[in-house]
Amino acid sequence: MQLDSSTQSSSIRQKLSRTALALALLEVPATAHADSGPTTQFDITTLFYGEQSRTDIFEPMVRVSRLFPDGQSLYAQFGLDVVTGASPSGALPSGEIQTTTGSSGRILTIPAGAIPMMNFQDQRFGFDGDWHKSLSRFFTSDIGGHFSRERDYQSLGINGKMSVDLFRRLTTLTFGGGYNHDSVFPTGGTPAGLSDGTIISNQGNPKQVKNFMIGISQVLSRKWLFGFDFSRTFENGYLTEPYKVISIVDPVTGIPVSQLTDKRPDARDRTSLLFSSAYHLSRDVVYLYYRHYWDTWKLQSDTFDFKYRHELGSENGTYLEPHIRYYHQTPAEFFTVGLVEGDPLPEFATADTRLGLLKTMTLGTTLGFHIFDNPSLWTIRAEYIRQIGDSYPVNAVGIQQTFDLSPPLNTFAVVVGYSFNF
Amino acid sequence: MKQWSRSFFILLVLALSVAAKSAKIPTDLKTAPPFDLPTRSGNISLDSLRGKVVLIDFWASWCAPCRQSFPWMSKVYDRYKSKGFEIVAINLDKNKDLADDFIFEFSPPFTVAFDPEGKTAEAYGVPAMPSSYIVNQDGTIIHSHAGFDPKKTDIVEKEIQEAFPR
Amino acid sequence: MKTIIRWKLRLLLIFLSFTAFGCATIHPWDRDLLAEKKMSLNPSPMVRAVDNHIYFSKEGSTGGDDIGGGGCGCN
Repeated sequence: MQLDSSTQSSSIRQKLSRTALALALLEVPATAHADSGPTTQFDITTLFYGEQSRTDIFEPMVRVSRLFPDGQSLYAQFGLDVVTGASPSGALPSGEIQTTTGSSGRILTIPAGAIPMMNFQDQRFGFDGDWHKSLSRFFTSDIGGHFSRERDYQSLGINGKMSVDLFRRLTTLTFGGGYNHDSVFPTGGTPAGLSDGTIISNQGNPKQVKNFMIGISQVLSRKWLFGFDFSRTFENGYLTEPYKVISIVDPVTGIPVSQLTDKRPDARDRTSLLFSSAYHLSRDVVYLYYRHYWDTWKLQSDTFDFKYRHELGSENGTYLEPHIRYYHQTPAEFFTVGLVEGDPLPEFATADTRLGLLKTMTLGTTLGFHIFDNPSLWTIRAEYIRQIGDSYPVNAVGIQQTFDLSPPLNTFAVVVGYSFNF
Repeated sequence: MKQWSRSFFILLVLALSVAAKSAKIPTDLKTAPPFDLPTRSGNISLDSLRGKVVLIDFWASWCAPCRQSFPWMSKVYDRYKSKGFEIVAINLDKNKDLADDFIFEFSPPFTVAFDPEGKTAEAYGVPAMPSSYIVNQDGTIIHSHAGFDPKKTDIVEKEIQEAFPR
Repeated sequence: MKTIIRWKLRLLLIFLSFTAFGCATIHPWDRDLLAEKKMSLNPSPMVRAVDNHIYFSKEGSTGGDDIGGGGCGCN
């Protein structure tokens, strides 16, 4: 088997390979060992995200990992999310300036023809922890916990998985499961579904999420790693968006006359099939992912993700990784752009475009580099995300047919990452 | 829901039963297969080591447990070399530069040989990285280990001691 | 019920086909490239976490990822 000596030897290479092998603990089920004594790794990531004329997010995250010589590892991750801006309320444009009161008491001022928005501001704190341990030569396990809290939502969860290596470690089988207990307590109280917004409760609304996963990863050749992941999630409880509304329009003119609150079923079963591939070229690596998803709300989606990690060949181990992602989603069963006055009310309805027809295209790139001889890794990532919905839906009535009901949304995201260990 | 738990457990049992037949060094291998490999100074052949107790270790620079095995092998080599003990650490890197970096870092006192095409590794039926074989003075493989476990080094050292005639 | 049986059969088929692949000759010492940290199906967990956060809040589908495997296959 011929191999081109594509890698160079240097002191930075030694440091990198040492770091790489220690870090491999986090991914490799086998008991790969660190040199002597435990090492600690810090990963700091900050996301700067801005949607055109809509939402801004600032999100710093810190992950602290402790790797022990016997293969055990522990990590704790803390994240803070600061979200401000506007998002569509679900209401339809009227063709004239409107001022209405939202279901949670917020005053909405809407220019003519524009998609009505609602302003919001929120902070979210999240914690994730995981303990990774070898149970025996070919078995490893993980136990994790999750906690997050924002103004109107709290989530508490535990998860676990077990991996077994088979066929001289060419195959890895993983079984995982998780349970989340969430609580939704909307600001201003919980409104009744498909109503004018009457508050029916000031208590928290529970939501339970159970998740099961089976995954196989297979070494197909010296250069090719392939994975297949099957996941099922069962959600029960309060799944409605308390702040979203649906416009009721005049059957002839299409002008909104009133609005109702969102109402969604109290159960949702999701299924996901994920195919992953990592292929090593002479120096570079190609990553391909395809996910097919469907759920009991009849929403279906396909995601294609492609990354090309190009080694720039410098002594510093610098790399450039362009990225393309394409996402296509078909609407949930009860998605409707609006309701028509006089028609019987459906059992469930939402005008939330996140459950409608959606196409997302992402173009981005990551630059990874080390500063001089330092083994700490910097990454800078820039992504452009363009989301398109159903601008002129077939069931639009009257004046609604003249409006672009889902104008393209452009988003820019920049992520700065810094990783070091000692 | 019950259907899924059942599928889960069926697959789990299937996986466990297959894992139970884990890779082991072939037990029918008795005579240590001969080799004649380049080192940093000339060649080394197994025949030339007849009459000594030899520890043959198959390693590579990218193998994380090898980073722990090398300091231990250095210790054990110094301890028993005067009794007629040799270590031949056979490197399987496809990129010699990486092997050289590793050797530079650990400065092993024992012999390092190079088998980049893996022919000797194949002859020995190497099941995992690293793998080691204890060969006695008659050229017979008396013990073998797949992988390196720092908690088992006492056992391996005892096996080396037992290889010497009393 | 029938759908579930069909899915179980499909899963088994996928598993068995991987078994067949597993018998291909990839020696333990051929895993030099696979041992590199970047040869992973999830090479940067932090990147995936940020991506998931972005997309799960903009889109209707969530979840589906996270498995290990590959690597140097040592020990």
